[in-house]
Parts: sequence; C-alpha cells; structure tokens
Amino acid sequence: MNTLIFGFLTVISVFIFMKLGKIKASKKQLNRSDRINWTRNKQPDSNEENHNTKIPEEKNKQINDQSEE
Amino acid sequence: MSKHSALNTFGRSGNPAFTRNFEQVGAIPQLERMTLDGAVNKTAILLCLCFAGAFIGWNSPALTMPALIIGTILSFITIFRSPAKAGSTAPFYAAFQGVALGGITVFAEMQYPGIGIQAIGLTFGILASLLFCYKSGIIKPTENFRLMIFSATMGIALLYLVSFVMSFFGSGIGFIHSNGLFGIGFSLFVVGIAALNLVLDFDFIEEGAEQGLPKHMEWYGAFSLMVTLVWLYIEILRLLMKLRSR
Repeated sequence: MNTLIFGFLTVISVFIFMKLGKIKASKKQLNRSDRINWTRNKQPDSNEENHNTKIPEEKNKQINDQSEE
Repeated sequence: MSKHSALNTFGRSGNPAFTRNFEQVGAIPQLERMTLDGAVNKTAILLCLCFAGAFIGWNSPALTMPALIIGTILSFITIFRSPAKAGSTAPFYAAFQGVALGGITVFAEMQYPGIGIQAIGLTFGILASLLFCYKSGIIKPTENFRLMIFSATMGIALLYLVSFVMSFFGSGIGFIHSNGLFGIGFSLFVVGIAALNLVLDFDFIEEGAEQGLPKHMEWYGAFSLMVTLVWLYIEILRLLMKLRSR
C-alpha cells in the first residue's frame, strides 16, 4: 500500500512536471518589477554605479541626521 | 539603486551554478536559443540516467562512495570549469549520483523498509507542487528571497563541513544527526531550504528561456535542477529516517 501510494505520487508529480514545466509562467510572475536579475553579475559597470551612488546618499543622510540633532 | 541595503552590500553574491553563465545573447540564432521545452526534456533525460544509475547502485552498494566522490567532482567541474560543456558532464553527473543514491537508499531500506519510495514520492511531490506555485505566481522569488536562500544554503553547507571535519577527531555536531526534536526541526529546516532552492532553479530556467540564452544553458538549467533534487532527496531520506527511528 505504501509503495502504491508513493509510487502513484511519483508518477503523477513527474507527469505534472513534464506538462507544467513547458508552460510559460503566469503574467503575475513574469511582469514584476522586483524579479531576480540573473544577468546583473555580468554587468559590473552598472553595479559600480550603484555602489558609487550609494556612498554619497548614505553620507548625505548622515549629515542630515547630524544637523537635525 | 535597490531600497534594500543588504542587496546593495551583497548584491554580487549568488549561487555560482546560476549566476556565472549569462552571456551576450543578441547574436544567437533563434534555433540555438534556450527554451523551456528543451530544459524540461533535458531534466527528464538526467532523471532517467539518475534512475538507471540508482538501479546499478541498488544492486552494487559497494559503488556508493566512489560514485558519490566522482559525482561531486563532476558537479564542481560543471559549475566552475566548463558550464558551456554541461551537456557532456551533466549526464555523467546524474548517472554517478544515481549510483550513489541507489546505494544510500539500500542502506536506508535495510533499516527501515519502504522508506525509499516514500522519499522519492515526497521529493517529486515537492517538485511538482513548487513548480505549480512558481508558475501560478503564488511564490514570487525576489532579490531578497535569493539572498535569504543563498545565505541559508551556505550556512548549512558550512555546518555540514564543520561537522565532517570534527568527525575525524572523534567529535561532531550532535544535534544535526540526532532524532530528537531539535534534530528533526533542523532536518525540516534543511528540507525547506532545499525545496526553496528549486524555486530559484525554476526562475533561472524561466528567465534563461525568456532572454534566449545559448542552447547549452538548457543542460546547465537541468543540471542545477538535478543538483537541488539530489540534495532534497537525501535530506528527505534523513528526515524520514529520524522520524522512523523514534
């Protein structure tokens, strides 16, 4: 019985994987602004820009915080 | 710039199996581009090879350790040396890991009969249900999600490594192997992290197909899915063994 149930689960799951895997994901999944950017690691220039812009912003924030105090 | 400060600091990190291989895709002809169909079919090929290997491992458990070592070496070669040649290394990886898994399953079956099919069923059940959750948009992987899963995976790997090294000195991290509540909780956590790694694999394959990466990346996507599935299967087997030994 154990073998039958889990064997059936295996077959059904593989079938679902084979069918569902070939279908494109829903628009809800694909049209998001916060998707993982898998290509980012290949674009060091844009990262450099990010890192460069981060420092002045943080400094700016610190200066503002201090002036408020 | 991202509003999440952790991403700005650690944004360059990521699983090397996923992030090293995006290339310029502009000049690639349509027929030589990665597709979802291709990635799924290649995963099916790797699974068949894994099952064939498992059949060998089941009948010759002595091959478990050599197959495990060769499989691990092949995975490192595929990730760090020749991702473009994943088509030639991934099938061997799947076959050798299959042999190792077959041997491991025999040892587990000897102690707890029927545990192997339970672990296989649960592994594929998790695969199918998470694929459904991903495709339908129920689970939405974000940069923060990737960062969290990557950190947890690295933490687990480090813990296992420390435990492995300590075992040479007759010591170890007891709770991760115990069948107490803490040990079972730890195993559940690891199964959860391994399962969520599948979501990252799906997202990698989906975006790879969307961006039209080179055809060989279908093998690479299938390979990364296989790595996660092998890990998930072993962790589920460990969890079931802990539960059955109580």
